Amino acid sequence: MLIAGLSFLASAQAPSITVVSRDGRKPLAVTTINNQDYISVDDVNTTFATTSREDRLAGGLTITARGRSIVLTENQNVVSVAGRLVTLPAPPVRRDGRWLVPADFLPRALAVALDTRLDLRRPARLLIVGDVRVPRVVARIDAGANNVAVTFDITPNTETRVNAQQGRLIVQFDADAIDLSVPLVPPQGFLQNVIPGDTPSTVALTLGPRYATNRVTTSQPDAGSGRVTIDLLPSTTDVAPTPTPTPPAAAPDTRLVIPAQGPSTGLRTVVIDPGHGGEAIGTQGVKGTLEKEITLSVARRLRTLIESRLGLKVFLTREDDRTMELDDRSAFANNHKADVFLSIHANSAVRPAMKGAEVYYLTVERGDAEARKKAEENATTLPALGGGNRAIDLILWETAQARYLEQSATLAGLIEQALRPRIEMSPRAVQQAPFRVLVGANMPAALVEIGYLSNADQETQLATASYQDQVAQALLDALIKFREFLEH
Amino acid sequence: MAAVLFAVVLMTALSRLLSRPAPGTAAVGPAAAPAPAPAAPAVPKIKATLYFASQDGLHLVAAEREVPLAEGAVAQARSILEAQLAAEAPAPLASTIPKGSLLRGLYVSERNEVFVDLDPAIRTAHPGGSLQELMTVYTIVNAVLTNLPNLQEVQILIGGQEADTLAGHVDLRRPLRKNESLIQHDAP
Repeated sequence: MLIAGLSFLASAQAPSITVVSRDGRKPLAVTTINNQDYISVDDVNTTFATTSREDRLAGGLTITARGRSIVLTENQNVVSVAGRLVTLPAPPVRRDGRWLVPADFLPRALAVALDTRLDLRRPARLLIVGDVRVPRVVARIDAGANNVAVTFDITPNTETRVNAQQGRLIVQFDADAIDLSVPLVPPQGFLQNVIPGDTPSTVALTLGPRYATNRVTTSQPDAGSGRVTIDLLPSTTDVAPTPTPTPPAAAPDTRLVIPAQGPSTGLRTVVIDPGHGGEAIGTQGVKGTLEKEITLSVARRLRTLIESRLGLKVFLTREDDRTMELDDRSAFANNHKADVFLSIHANSAVRPAMKGAEVYYLTVERGDAEARKKAEENATTLPALGGGNRAIDLILWETAQARYLEQSATLAGLIEQALRPRIEMSPRAVQQAPFRVLVGANMPAALVEIGYLSNADQETQLATASYQDQVAQALLDALIKFREFLEH
Repeated sequence: MAAVLFAVVLMTALSRLLSRPAPGTAAVGPAAAPAPAPAAPAVPKIKATLYFASQDGLHLVAAEREVPLAEGAVAQARSILEAQLAAEAPAPLASTIPKGSLLRGLYVSERNEVFVDLDPAIRTAHPGGSLQELMTVYTIVNAVLTNLPNLQEVQILIGGQEADTLAGHVDLRRPLRKNESLIQHDAP
């Protein structure tokens, strides 16, 4: 995948990073070296009013920022910031007489020297300097037969205004800029596109031929974030296809009516994560069976079972064969306020004889336990809508799962008990491991390895509908038991 | 400052390594490493504990090997890890490391965290599966931390960069501690 030359460095121009500060927006040129974003020190000096001095003899560079020194050494991942060592994901490089530093240098080293917050938001390629308001705005598009609903989840909550303008709707956010993420727009007649607007704090909805009017609803799903839903509606004569037109108000998420409340005490929403997908094929059996296909198939079977037997809401992190980052999977579960997160995988071992299912929950290392304690101490009380106060927890991503470990251990145990009568279990049936996909899950979570693709017999089994149904049925049984556990 | 630190780490690590009683009781047959025939210039060697997959595939088993003595904890860790990455497993054990895996670099932070930088080939060559990934990752982590007990944690980088995972499961974005639960200890 990554082919890094050992003796030379491959590089290419990459889209620039936009620096957003009180003074406005400035581009910062980016060069990709070995798949890593690099910034030139000259540009850093221009943008942040720092100075640099090279020590050719020592192969080092000193950057001075607000009287503090940052010492870089060529090809060394560790830099010294005012005497403190800071590690970077990649070393500074010197080429054609210019020094380049990885983009992470900005938040990790420069921010410390400047004593200013530098928030690097990679997906949006934004660097937020200091105390400017740049809410994260995540768009969702729900297409119905006779309407399309565009929902923006805004964190932290920010005032918005919607204005019509020549075939477009402009959503204006009361902020210095926005950190926008937009899904693909499905083909339909109401909406052609959702794109960044003409100013940094706007989004433009390009409308389609079926659009006639709109309705805007705002709500506050929880204390920290806001939501705006824009229903794009046809003219009344256009609503022919179905005799009883669906009320467009049904499109937005029904969770809107659930009042914000503390940690879940029941089981209402399940997020199932079919492991791997897209370019990440996972492991592969000798006969060519792909883990990513097995996991998706089992996840779909499980969803059908849960929906029909328990009537719970079920979401899959991926509906098809697509590449998805691990953190995005747990973020998906968090955004859907899941009460349980189940990641489904198939295993591989050095020994072909190895077989059986295993259930994992997260290992928490010492540092995480400390962070958890700190997070609990940081619980904050905020005034709630409608009066009164409500405790909210400020949760670090890296410690989200730590709060649920006991429940996750119970969940893993119940899954093991439910699988055992139906399929073969490995000798290490329940284990703990530092699995990335579980780290950020803010709910009880487990990862189920449903069998070994490296074992020829199990590879055959894993591909059959009957085996997959047994697994799905067992996971349903476990969820029923887990619901009882949560309700007591 | 760093030099002093390394020297301290080195001394304690080496004193431990060198004062170990001669083996002969390695967990599994001492691997009869095909010692390069006589008369090579005498590079001093030390015994190091390397890890391999057990016969049932469920555990890591320790086996001792001679590796070149190196100056300093960082160089010694590198020499041990290079031996681990290249080692053929003594029968009936199996290697947990994909063939052709190479070490790009290794360094130690002020807080005694070891950064192990692997060539990206290890990722493309890895067969996947969470057990295989756990075995590979903890072979590397345990090999460093068992032999150099003053070092606390190992963070694995791939191609000079922080990596989410090696094969989609084990979190590599934070340093890992030694994993005892995967190691098969000798029956009493």
